[in-house]
Amino acid sequence: MTAKVTVKDLHKAYGDNEVLKGINLEVQENEVVVMIGPSGSGKSTFLRTLNNLEAVTSGEILINGYNLVDKKTDINKVRENIGMVFQHFNLFPHLSVLENVILAPVELGKLSKEDAKTLGMQLLTQVGLADKADAKPTQLSGGQKQRVAIARALAMKPSIMLFDEPTSALDPEMVGDVLQVMRDLAEEGMTMIVVTHEMGFAKQVADRVVFFADGYIREQGTPEEVFNNPQDPRAQDFLNKVLNV
Amino acid sequence: MMKKHTWLKFGTLIVTMLLGLVVFSATNVHADKKEPHYVITTDTTYAPFEFQAQNGQYVGIDMDMLRAIAKREHFTYKLVPIAFNSGAQGVLSGQFDAIIAGMTITPERQQVYDFGTPYYKTGIIAAASPKSGITSLNQLRGKTVALKTGTGSAQYALSIQKKYGFKVTYFNDSNTMYNAVALGNAAVAFEDDPVMKYAIKNGIKLKIITKPANAGQYGFAVKKGQNQELLAKFNAGYAAIKKDGTYDKIVAKYLGAKESTFAGSAKENNSLIGLLKQNKDQFIGGIIKTLQLTVFGIIFATIFGVLIGVLAVVPNKFAYGLSSTIIYIFRGLPLLVLAFFIYIGLPSLTGTKIPAIAAGLITLTLNEGAYIAAFVAGGLKSVDVGQMEAARSLGLPYRKAMLKVIMPQGIKLMIPSFVNQFIITLKDTSILSAIGIIELTQTGTVIISRNSQGFRVWFLVAMMYLIMITLLTFLAKWADKKFGNN
Repeated sequence: MTAKVTVKDLHKAYGDNEVLKGINLEVQENEVVVMIGPSGSGKSTFLRTLNNLEAVTSGEILINGYNLVDKKTDINKVRENIGMVFQHFNLFPHLSVLENVILAPVELGKLSKEDAKTLGMQLLTQVGLADKADAKPTQLSGGQKQRVAIARALAMKPSIMLFDEPTSALDPEMVGDVLQVMRDLAEEGMTMIVVTHEMGFAKQVADRVVFFADGYIREQGTPEEVFNNPQDPRAQDFLNKVLNV
Repeated sequence: MMKKHTWLKFGTLIVTMLLGLVVFSATNVHADKKEPHYVITTDTTYAPFEFQAQNGQYVGIDMDMLRAIAKREHFTYKLVPIAFNSGAQGVLSGQFDAIIAGMTITPERQQVYDFGTPYYKTGIIAAASPKSGITSLNQLRGKTVALKTGTGSAQYALSIQKKYGFKVTYFNDSNTMYNAVALGNAAVAFEDDPVMKYAIKNGIKLKIITKPANAGQYGFAVKKGQNQELLAKFNAGYAAIKKDGTYDKIVAKYLGAKESTFAGSAKENNSLIGLLKQNKDQFIGGIIKTLQLTVFGIIFATIFGVLIGVLAVVPNKFAYGLSSTIIYIFRGLPLLVLAFFIYIGLPSLTGTKIPAIAAGLITLTLNEGAYIAAFVAGGLKSVDVGQMEAARSLGLPYRKAMLKVIMPQGIKLMIPSFVNQFIITLKDTSILSAIGIIELTQTGTVIISRNSQGFRVWFLVAMMYLIMITLLTFLAKWADKKFGNN
């Protein structure tokens, strides 16, 4: 089995401040990788390098065989295959819910407007928001917005989904719906890389948990290994704090 | 990554188009004609030598003489009435071929102009308001004297300024200068003898307090060493009309009759309605010119401004530098300076004439465009960065993300600024009267110089501007409702 994502010795610095200090990671097809760790550990930055929202200082990133560090790579082509969900949803406020979902496939000539609408309605049904198709994003709750954002990312039929703290900006009672949508996606076999503080989700859904601290991957393994028997002292300390509140 | 260069290419295209407009209009002036064709400038009002008749035609000793000479010597010309000082500079910069504007021949001027045969004797006199009690130049110490920019009279006044100890202030046309003295804003005005006497005869309430000084003569002028053929034609024609009595008839016609014979009587000017009726065609012409300048100015400035504004946010250091430099320069320059630079300054550098209307439009495009660029850049920057990230993460190229996601949100924020800028543009067109465009403000100046109805005419002009601005605001609100909320 070939890896969907291969990262080798990745470094990223803002001026003198190095935030990624040599990351190595492979993600296989259909795998769900959950990245956890304290704030400022570099996990969100790392996730953003995977679709080139952050430029890297050195290292290698291969996604679906495309070399992201090579300037000659058409990044737009690569991104079509990678869906991204943001902490603050970033829905387009001037467009309706359905227009948000179908914008990219129509603009990029992937689908006719009619076909895109059919697909858009399917995806909205999948995330439980078909009745909101004509609403504007401002009329939705946070959880609803995030589910629309997931539908929007899925409309390009990506083979990988990146989630950047998708539930951190939500009211607690909204978190469940979003996690359920993500759980369904994982069950369908989507390759997912998720940055989250939802330890329950990590335990239940992750094939592998990756622990970040100080710009390094300190520990990784199955949820049982990482949560029940962490080896790295930073991981032990972190898990002790978040699991035993 | 390739796509951001498309914006640069588009920018280059617009700049090329603007330059093309200049070149096109410039070549347009040299229309093929059998008879030689010249562009000749004159003062806006200098009765009895040049002033506008009731029908809007320019008449006066200079005008009738030029017409007679052109007919006799077989040349055609386009007349450009503009403030004397701008006209005189325009001849030197190559914008005009010649000037006939009651221009006194002086040794200083002879260094840069070639004059034709002197055609009218003149001297410089000073006049004060009878109410002021001023009867001699000796009473002027510490007082302010009104002068007309760039004239021989102004130069003469400056030469005696130390002796009499007065301060000076400048005006661009004779009528405004007379009124400043009549209203007591200045103590006396210096002006050429025949012109001042003619104005007083026609009802300007001033009293002459000096004998003619610095006797001189008027001459037709071209830039030194240029247009010698035109100068020769003028001299030959002048000699002929002097000999056959045409010249004397012209002089007698204007000096023997009141200005009202040509320009309409004061009675007709006593009511607003009468003024409107009498000057209907001129007002309509002025409004049309103002609206043309405004509408085309807004269209070009918006294209230019949006483009330069977008360049400021594109992730490219060169584009950003170019954009901020353009905004810095054209927002920093006063509109009037920019207009003079393009209309009078540039032709002396490039050697091609620019029609006033093209110079005016380019001025508006650059100046208003720079303001538009500044708020376009600001509006685009105020859109949350997450919007661009979300759009790009879907695989949209930068340009599509800009057009479909960032610009619709940014432009909505900018709509109030656009409406504001449109109103400013309409008002700013009035400044272009200085380069001789007969838009509404210049129409007002010209009508007043004929009928001296300052209050009524400016009141009418002000009302017309307010009506236009109201209509424009309604239009903008309608557009906002129609396009903004969607």
